[in-house]
Amino acid sequence: MFQYDFMQHAFIAGTLIAIMCGAIGVFIIGRNLSFIAHTFSHIGFAGASFAVFAGIDPLLGLLLFTLLGALGVGQLGVRMFRRDASVSVILSLALGLGILFLSLSNVQATFTKTILFGSVVGIDLQDVGQIIILTIVVLLALAIGYRWLKFDSFDQLGAQAAGLPIRWISIGFLLLMAIAVSVTVQIVGALLVFALMTIPAAAARFYTQSIFIMILLSVVIAVLGVWFGLTVGYYTNAPVSFFIVCFVSIVYFIGMIYHRLMERRRTAVTRS
Amino acid sequence: MLKNVRVDHLQVSFNGQDVLQDLSLDVSAGELFAVIGPNGAGKSTLLKCILGLLKPQSGSVQIESDQKKAVIGYVPQSRVIDDETPIETKDFISLGQSSGLLPWLSKKERKSLKEIMEFTDTLRFAKKSIGKLSGGERQRAFLAQALVRYPDLLLLDESTANLDPAAQEEMMKLVKKVAREWHVAVIFISHDLHLVKEYADRLLLIAPGRYEIAESTEVLDQPETLHYYYHSELSMDHESTISVDPMIHAQFSETVK
Repeated sequence: MFQYDFMQHAFIAGTLIAIMCGAIGVFIIGRNLSFIAHTFSHIGFAGASFAVFAGIDPLLGLLLFTLLGALGVGQLGVRMFRRDASVSVILSLALGLGILFLSLSNVQATFTKTILFGSVVGIDLQDVGQIIILTIVVLLALAIGYRWLKFDSFDQLGAQAAGLPIRWISIGFLLLMAIAVSVTVQIVGALLVFALMTIPAAAARFYTQSIFIMILLSVVIAVLGVWFGLTVGYYTNAPVSFFIVCFVSIVYFIGMIYHRLMERRRTAVTRS
Repeated sequence: MLKNVRVDHLQVSFNGQDVLQDLSLDVSAGELFAVIGPNGAGKSTLLKCILGLLKPQSGSVQIESDQKKAVIGYVPQSRVIDDETPIETKDFISLGQSSGLLPWLSKKERKSLKEIMEFTDTLRFAKKSIGKLSGGERQRAFLAQALVRYPDLLLLDESTANLDPAAQEEMMKLVKKVAREWHVAVIFISHDLHLVKEYADRLLLIAPGRYEIAESTEVLDQPETLHYYYHSELSMDHESTISVDPMIHAQFSETVK
């Protein structure tokens, strides 16, 4: 499997993206931003389609649209975008724009498929380089802002009372999320960004109550998911993103059952 | 160390309606200062102004401290705790240690976290999820999170309201210890006049359009003063419990809710 360059690239890029998604996902879950992440992926689809239409690198289009989307959400307030109606309006608008740009640019159907469902075969050395740089940017920003981000994500009232600049933290995090979504879309596609950005983190919280261990577990689940997806996808010739989703979803459901059993055990011990 | 908290001619209004009118007060280090009054009197608005979350139309809040920027600890009545993302109490308390650049806690920070947890008696449920704590335990965790930043000023917004009498006493004893031993100024809002009488050094009585600062809690023994602020026949009997006409008590409870 590793004798092929494209598989080497896929493993390097996939692992980095999984580390980034696993780490940022814990804060996405803590801040209840799962659906905004999903909306960003659709905005990214519109951005990538625009890039094809304009004849520029799709990653640039992805970044441009998602970063502008993040600034828009940050300016108008995250609360407004947590509402179902606002999310569905923006999601539909982004998809519509994406379809418009694609029809105007006369591209092949495979490109649409790649952006919507992801592709590992098309990742070349230049893409790997871009992914490495962007992943380092996101991870460094998360590490530097870790304490503020943690406070604001898990106790916003406390953070506000402590005098933390919560508005700037929110905008900064949305920008990081926009970069992470732009990078992730290339592997799992716009429709399955959830698979890497929220499911590993959502699963990790079933196994631990420590934020730091939650981040480590989330990273491990995401990385194993990507490795599993790439390996099985290679041998079966079936879509990689399907196997990634399967793996992380199974870990999630096992975690849910484990959590419920532990809760029952605790309740039984308390009663006795 | 804190020198003084000075609220000077504070004026706040919402939609043309005055909430705080020309309010001035001073609170010193080590003092327990209570704020009492009916709902809508502007008590929480005052705390928000002190916290810097609300900008007054005029007037100022000055916190004189030895530190470059005074640190304020805030303990609310309750907080939205997301049960879907349970975090352990120790982690929740250490969220207050937000000033370092490194993601992990230094040796000094770990030591002070342990000391605060011992002081607030939260160490025994350190590994328990914050969402699974009892009301009293949770308030202690909120207090510990405020204390872990070593505040100059501690603000408590009805933070004992949901506790049973024993837990209220325990919480206030702890707060008193913080004020006296750490020389921290404490401003607390409470509807429990018994608790105010027992723990406050001075108090602010506030109602829409009027306020007064009482230099001692003896004012709580004057039914006419309480009536003036609460518009109810509130009084405290000699056992320091609230004694109210049953009809008025029902109305008052509704207001408190």
